[in-house]
Amino acid sequence: MRLVSRARIALGLALIMAVLAALPTAAQERGITPTEIILGTTAPLSGPAAPWGATARGVEAYLQYINEQGGIHGRTFRFEIRDDGYQPPRAVANVRELVERVGVFGIVGMIGSANAAAVRDYMFRNEVVWMTPAVESDPWIGNPDIHYLFVTYPNYYQEAKILARYAVEELGLQRIAVVYQNDQYGMNGLRGVRDALAELGMAPVAEVSYELTDADLSVHALRIGEARAEAVILYATPNHGAMAAAALAQLNPRPQILSSFTLADPVMARLAGPAWDGVIVPSYFPYPGTDEKVDRVLQILVERNPELATMAFNALAGVTFIEPMLEGFRRAGPNLTKESFVAAMESIKDWDGEILRGVTFGPGRRQGINRIFLSRMVGGVPERLTDWIEYPVEF
Amino acid sequence: MFFWQLVVSGLSIGSLYALVALGIVLLYRTSRVLNFAHGDMSMISTMVAYSLLTVAGVAFGPAAVLTLAAGFALGALFYFFVLRPVKEATLLGQIITTAGFSLVLSGLAVVVWGADTKVLPFPLSRAVVYRIAGVSVNQVALGSFAVAVVAMLGLYVLVQKTRFGLAMRAVSQNDVAARVLGIPVRRVFAVTWGVSATLGAIAGMLLAPVTLVNPSMMFDPFLKGFAGAVLGGLDSLPGAIVGSLIIGVAENLFGGYVSTSLRTTVAFLIIIAVLLVRPEGLFGHKFMRRV
Repeated sequence: MRLVSRARIALGLALIMAVLAALPTAAQERGITPTEIILGTTAPLSGPAAPWGATARGVEAYLQYINEQGGIHGRTFRFEIRDDGYQPPRAVANVRELVERVGVFGIVGMIGSANAAAVRDYMFRNEVVWMTPAVESDPWIGNPDIHYLFVTYPNYYQEAKILARYAVEELGLQRIAVVYQNDQYGMNGLRGVRDALAELGMAPVAEVSYELTDADLSVHALRIGEARAEAVILYATPNHGAMAAAALAQLNPRPQILSSFTLADPVMARLAGPAWDGVIVPSYFPYPGTDEKVDRVLQILVERNPELATMAFNALAGVTFIEPMLEGFRRAGPNLTKESFVAAMESIKDWDGEILRGVTFGPGRRQGINRIFLSRMVGGVPERLTDWIEYPVEF
Repeated sequence: MFFWQLVVSGLSIGSLYALVALGIVLLYRTSRVLNFAHGDMSMISTMVAYSLLTVAGVAFGPAAVLTLAAGFALGALFYFFVLRPVKEATLLGQIITTAGFSLVLSGLAVVVWGADTKVLPFPLSRAVVYRIAGVSVNQVALGSFAVAVVAMLGLYVLVQKTRFGLAMRAVSQNDVAARVLGIPVRRVFAVTWGVSATLGAIAGMLLAPVTLVNPSMMFDPFLKGFAGAVLGGLDSLPGAIVGSLIIGVAENLFGGYVSTSLRTTVAFLIIIAVLLVRPEGLFGHKFMRRV
């Protein structure tokens, strides 16, 4: 009796082994099946950076459109979004869940330099494909672990240098101040302004930081007024950017605000009202209303998620996160593996997508774009001020 | 001049902290319950105001009145349907109940109104700035300060000059004796909760133009109001006002002259320092002696 039982157990085990061995090889690559590619992201759908959460919704709507077209090489996309409220601990939990339980092929985007810093080592250790974390560039520069990382997102430090130089050289302003978020995002902006001004033999007249928990930025504006700043370079969340602009608008004379491109969305004109008029802000892709292809994509997004109409820039920025990745999937062909994807991405040279233009990757090059242009916001509508301004490729 | 500008701006935001603090102190005096849901109750009232103004298209005046009524109802209903049934719980149990209710409310706000940031249509503008004796004050700050003062006076009249206020004070001193004397203690508690939540609703609506409207809008003002209440003495209404104004001015002066990044920390350092010297708060002791 006992012998029979042992034999049965042995038989059962052998069967399990046989089934496991016979599983299709595709299952070995996480997040890829013959019919599906699973992607995911963690984004601030709530909290002070909630308007940036529209990027994830933009990706979602665009992938829905790609799926309706039949997907890529017979595979459709599943996109899992988790809310982190712009809090690093929640971002870590979300990414671990997406990788370990959902089993995503890659993470698309991720908002917040502090959030990305919290998950960075995990991503590298587990060799997760990471497409354009919307964060500072410093951690990638000179980093040997970025084999599976591809970035088509401007560099805050270089952007801040361009903004500071523009304020001095083009606008003729001498007294430059910085209002910045007290974390990696804001510090990158601050450092860029300091360095650019130092190259011109100047220094910021005021450096005023705020905390994410601050609910009132009046005193910050008063310090800018006391320093008699003529221009304020702003590195903030949408909520705090709107609060800062409203507080700065009370100063007499009112300083010229130059903001990071992170606040390029027309939602800012709604949050800050007339205080946002005249703000100078960069972009790294053409604004809707100025480019046919961009307008068409926006229409595609809004048809699938009408709420995105009021957050057009952020939704389109989401498309810029996913667009080069989709090109990588197209080039990699039907036999998709992580390595064939990386090789395909590295073959992208001076490529124009629907939104992004002039993207280049390569072996040893993970920074896909290196240029921005400046516009002035009037009633939530951008008026272009400059041609493309290039900055160095650093990683 | 910069100094006075910081002081005026600090008094303006401090007066809003004071409205929050008064709501907390009013309840504490009467029932010894620290209401951790106070901030979220104010936020819900502000969301109601937002819906009335934008979705229902009600004019600001009637919408404000309806919002205050909604705030009152929220406070009274919380007492009757949540806190009253757990009356056998210890005081700590009741306080934890309010903390739980706070989570329920913030979750409810996300489900009903969404987590995105909204702009409350407000009849006053921050862009309109008056210059008085060299100090500039914007319309919202001036209006908020005026409304806050009126609300405080209203509370003073209610507590000190009406029969109901007398009943409130009696219950706060000894609720068993008050019940024996025929005071409807339950009704007094319910109205106290209602009035407290109404003060919160006023604070929420006045803060909305500054903080913008979202589920976490009251997080910082609630902490500051709480700090103001502790500083002034948790059972003193005048203490709540003075404590909150001190917090508002102190954090502005520190932010203006030293550092904006440690501004909030300083508010709490002041409290620790004061409590080391006077554990009952600035005005707490006086009130207790009167008892």
